[in-house]
Amino acid sequence: MGFNMSRKICFVGGATTPFDYGPTGFESIEGGAAECIRETREDIPDFSLRDIDLMIYSHFSVHFGHQLCSEWIIHDHLGLVGVPQYRVENGGNTGGSALYAAVLAVMSGHHDVVGIVGWETMDSVTQSQGSEFIALASDIRYELMVGGIYPIYYAAMANKWMKDNNVTEEDVATIGAKNRNNAMDNPKAQWYRNEHKYITVDDVMNSRLISYPIKKYDCCLMSRGVAFALVCSEDYAKKVNPDGYVTIDGIGLSSCTIRAGDRLNFPGWTNRYGSNYPEMTEFGACRNSAEQAYKMAGINDPLKDIDFGEIHDAFSTSEAQIYKALGLADENNISQFLHDESTHMHGEIPMNPGGGLMGYGHPVGATGIMSAIECYYQLSGLIPKKHNSKKSEVPDVKCGIVNSHAGTGTSISNFIFRRH
Amino acid sequence: MSEEQVTVIKNKRKKFAEGPNFTEKKEYRPENVHETGLEFVGHEISDDGKVMNQFLHYDQLYTIRHGWNSRFFKGLLEGKIWGTRCPICGDTWVPVRTHCWNLDCNLAKTDWIEMPLKAKIHTWTIAGWSGRSSLKRLPIVLIYAVIEGSKVAIANELHCIDPWDVEFGMPLKIVFKPENERIGAVTDFHFEPDDDWSPSPTNEEKERIKKMIEPVYEWVKTMK
Ligand SMILES: [Zn+2]
Repeated sequence: MGFNMSRKICFVGGATTPFDYGPTGFESIEGGAAECIRETREDIPDFSLRDIDLMIYSHFSVHFGHQLCSEWIIHDHLGLVGVPQYRVENGGNTGGSALYAAVLAVMSGHHDVVGIVGWETMDSVTQSQGSEFIALASDIRYELMVGGIYPIYYAAMANKWMKDNNVTEEDVATIGAKNRNNAMDNPKAQWYRNEHKYITVDDVMNSRLISYPIKKYDCCLMSRGVAFALVCSEDYAKKVNPDGYVTIDGIGLSSCTIRAGDRLNFPGWTNRYGSNYPEMTEFGACRNSAEQAYKMAGINDPLKDIDFGEIHDAFSTSEAQIYKALGLADENNISQFLHDESTHMHGEIPMNPGGGLMGYGHPVGATGIMSAIECYYQLSGLIPKKHNSKKSEVPDVKCGIVNSHAGTGTSISNFIFRRH
Repeated sequence: MSEEQVTVIKNKRKKFAEGPNFTEKKEYRPENVHETGLEFVGHEISDDGKVMNQFLHYDQLYTIRHGWNSRFFKGLLEGKIWGTRCPICGDTWVPVRTHCWNLDCNLAKTDWIEMPLKAKIHTWTIAGWSGRSSLKRLPIVLIYAVIEGSKVAIANELHCIDPWDVEFGMPLKIVFKPENERIGAVTDFHFEPDDDWSPSPTNEEKERIKKMIEPVYEWVKTMK
């Protein structure tokens, strides 16, 4: 692909509102966006709103706010009239796709300073109605009335994956506990703000059955929240955040079928990876987008070259499936990889030190932006400032991965961030 | 006006295609569903007087026009499963594709074929929670099954089985609801174990699953 490799793309700042659900008395969406930018300016005071030459808005569903083009409300509230803007929507990968768009905008040389605002207001309807709204992103003609909610589709995929890979429910339960416990150090996280307790594998195993083999604490949270991130050229990064900026060295975006059952025998995959892949169990779009990002960033051995990640743990099972799709383990050692707690804070490659979707929350349009922000905080040494302590800081990090994921694995993006 | 000019005007008025008429129309929505349009129906103010929430109500009837996929959904009313097949590469699908997925077939239009009412489980799950409309039927065995001849799996429910007895790869038959209960949606049919299939003896895992879903049965009993 014809990337302009001479132009480095940088991530220089960002912040989220607290993520939560319910009548918490949070700011309005435009107020939340403003507060995220104010917090970013506290970290990098030389950044001015006047410098922004493109805004990209990251928002999943108008069903949750019942306001078409709510980005227009945010944009003029920020005082940015005249500045070009558009909205990106790509299911659960909306945040990742907005980040992808921002990187391309700077990479093209046409823009230098691109702001991204992501948000979702899922608490404007009941949890069960919210689940149905999200399920409208399945093929409603074939799947909405059978199964009807995403945990069920994911459970069916995970059930076979776990059998095929010799992974147990306890193995994946460690992930559900890990991410919530990581969030116990993060005051903006939904788990911190609500349940606020350390949990064990047994707690996950004993939580109520959602859809075999997935239980309540294997599932992420429905949330309200806003996030802001700033992507720019290296010249600008050196100007506003010379010591702390992070470079985005690799990007990848890939796609798979909307209905999980359609990815059996799909020629697009058979052509790339041979037969019986991704089956109904693997995330082909994750593998494919990771390969693109690795190639661009010069990553040969992801387990060695990457220090940590902020990835899309919609379910603890899918986080485990993502490990494999990212090439951190294969069918022979994924079970051992999980037993070894390789992705815990004390492990070889900590995943979701910020809490992830299960701990921090999942306000869809803001989620991928949140992951990128947490990754940036780790790489720029901001964790002690942003979290309550150094407990969730991964020491001596140079390279992190950001992952954003949609549908039943229908659209997935990956990004390689490095300390400059 | 010359004859040539008249022809031009006539052609302009000609429709691209004749629109279909809909004489056979069935409605079965509940009586209490009303399309009121957008309406503010209430508000609340927090005890400290600082924050206000407002309630917006919206109810809207949508028309899903099945268009070229119609034969599949109409077939359900008749107790048939229609699939499509590419005339070039021969790939066959349920759910249907009106154009081939193989890039080398260049979006070839596919042919309709009636599928056998036989399938095999590809993967499965036991739902202990679901959308509001399905809660009373829990636990539900939801499976992805490959209908004989199809290249892909389709999601639907598996009935007439104890949830802990489900097996990967087990043979199935497709069973339709009685004709007068069908609505032309995928819920018109479900899967059942093939007549020749019988469950394997109980084991530790089956006992564990049984225990896991016990609370679901109890919970459903308490529902009104
Ligand atoms: Zn073909």
